[in-house]
Amino acid sequence: MSEVVKVFKNAGGEFTALNRVTACFYAGEFVSVVGKSGSGKSTLVNMLTGIDHPTSGTVRVSDIDIHRLSENDMSVWRGNNLGIVFQFFQLLPTLTLLENVMLPMYLIGKYAPAEREERALRLLERVGLRGMEDKLPAAVSGGQQQSAAIARALANDPPIIIADEPTGNLDSRAAEEVFDLFTNLIDAGKTVLVVTHDISLAKRTSRTLLLSDGELINPWVAHALPRLAHSEMLWLTHHVQPVSYPAGALLPIDDENSEWLWLVTAGQIDLVEATTTGGGRLIASLPGGSFLAGREIQPGWLAHAGADRPLELLVVAGADFTHWCDQHPAVWTGLKQSRRLHPFSGGQ
Amino acid sequence: MVTLVQIELAREAELPVALDPSRPNPLIRLRGVVKVYKTAAGDFQALKGIDLDVYPGEFLGIIGKSGAGKTTLINMLTGVDRPTRGEVWINGVPIHRLDENRLAHWRGRNVGIIYQSFYLMPTLNLLANVILPMDLCGLYRPGRSEQRALQLLRMVELEQHAHKLPSAISGGQQQRVAIARALANDPQFIAADEPTGRLDSGTAEVIFRIFAQLVEQGKTIVMVTHDQALARRMTRTLRLVDGCIVDGS
Repeated sequence: MSEVVKVFKNAGGEFTALNRVTACFYAGEFVSVVGKSGSGKSTLVNMLTGIDHPTSGTVRVSDIDIHRLSENDMSVWRGNNLGIVFQFFQLLPTLTLLENVMLPMYLIGKYAPAEREERALRLLERVGLRGMEDKLPAAVSGGQQQSAAIARALANDPPIIIADEPTGNLDSRAAEEVFDLFTNLIDAGKTVLVVTHDISLAKRTSRTLLLSDGELINPWVAHALPRLAHSEMLWLTHHVQPVSYPAGALLPIDDENSEWLWLVTAGQIDLVEATTTGGGRLIASLPGGSFLAGREIQPGWLAHAGADRPLELLVVAGADFTHWCDQHPAVWTGLKQSRRLHPFSGGQ
Repeated sequence: MVTLVQIELAREAELPVALDPSRPNPLIRLRGVVKVYKTAAGDFQALKGIDLDVYPGEFLGIIGKSGAGKTTLINMLTGVDRPTRGEVWINGVPIHRLDENRLAHWRGRNVGIIYQSFYLMPTLNLLANVILPMDLCGLYRPGRSEQRALQLLRMVELEQHAHKLPSAISGGQQQRVAIARALANDPQFIAADEPTGRLDSGTAEVIFRIFAQLVEQGKTIVMVTHDQALARRMTRTLRLVDGCIVDGS
């Protein structure tokens, strides 16, 4: 997705649901999209599935600019390439589970009519619904309905599965079981994208994208400072600048402006305390994904880029940052709590 | 028309078959319908012996509080659920005796069902959603089914949106598509479970008028509703309390 913007117009004016969202998803990945209600998660999914169109920006899936397809081509493309799982299952209530799973096969025609029933039965068995095939959706539990919906999503053997809050209507045990099914799909080589507001389930995916007010939070910010509020993460996302230092370089931690924040994206920072003998005692090594704040620096500390490779940082500093920190005392609390999750380590 | 098979089935069930042409047969006849659900807390009796006749061309409202059994009752009429005891006859067919396959076959041709949550396929455009039941039942040839779907979308004033996805139209418009879809196989009777429950009052009125028109055209409609004002405009209402009809059977 490149620079995707979606603006909805309603009686109250315009509402920007997605603001210049750029993201990549790689084959075989299990990615979660997390954010509060109204943060733009479903809109983002609808851009990927072609259920809705961006106001500007492009969405390319395996080199196809999907929003340039006609409605007809789009629906054929979608049927062959995507399996979509919805929060409210969206099974047709008057069809049995078997018929619901066969439906996409009938719509796309990839499998011969004679194969369809057997294939649908196999898919139902795979999601643990063997023996339930002749039941109507109303006769089975919510978790079973969602399992059937996953079987239906797999009907045409698509490479990509997209699920919008698939566990939003399930109790935690059924949610776990549904997530297990997704994990199995990753093992079978599928790419799975799950939208969820359940952080504990998101932790089971290999990568999480965090949305706030229609924008993606920089993943380094989200990773290093998980205890900041989403709005604070978004502010940092807007204000970080990349800075590089060669391997072994001395870093300017004694900057007159002590209010700065660094996020390590490559290489590492070695934090050293100068000793009276002229040597240094290593306090901590901060690898990629760590942060360091000016306020944490004690007198007599020095910082170097790690000796083996260049250091890449995302840096936020300057008068804006100082002002922002003054305005948001909670940031320091969030920072201290984040530090407890990423304590200084590597020292002796 | 009463067929020999229906007379045979009726005799077997000891139900009277009205052959007197001056008195119409009920389209829907329920006798002693009981529905028991097993729950963790024990058995729950959702319907406690319902007797009901609905005549062709009626617009019947089912009202009652949440949990009174309204949806269970409508599920008995559509064959989406089965009674624990009792009989459900629709146009002379004892649907409580049909196996799953025959029931699915019967349902596809004889009843149009409309739900509160529309249940349109989100990945199919409106036209494809309306064509779907025709293709599944095979009552119309492919070209003819598309023509008929467009005609039905025109009836609910959505023909110009035929190629849009459900997400691109409003909730009220989605419900109109669901009505068009329910009419796809030209069923005699339409069952609607709170069809206006998710719509604002202005949109609900539009939907209600479509139902009223269908009744004028000779359809029989059974509708569950919370809305007393709508219920008063139907030909008859019955009130359910704790699985029993207490008013207007």
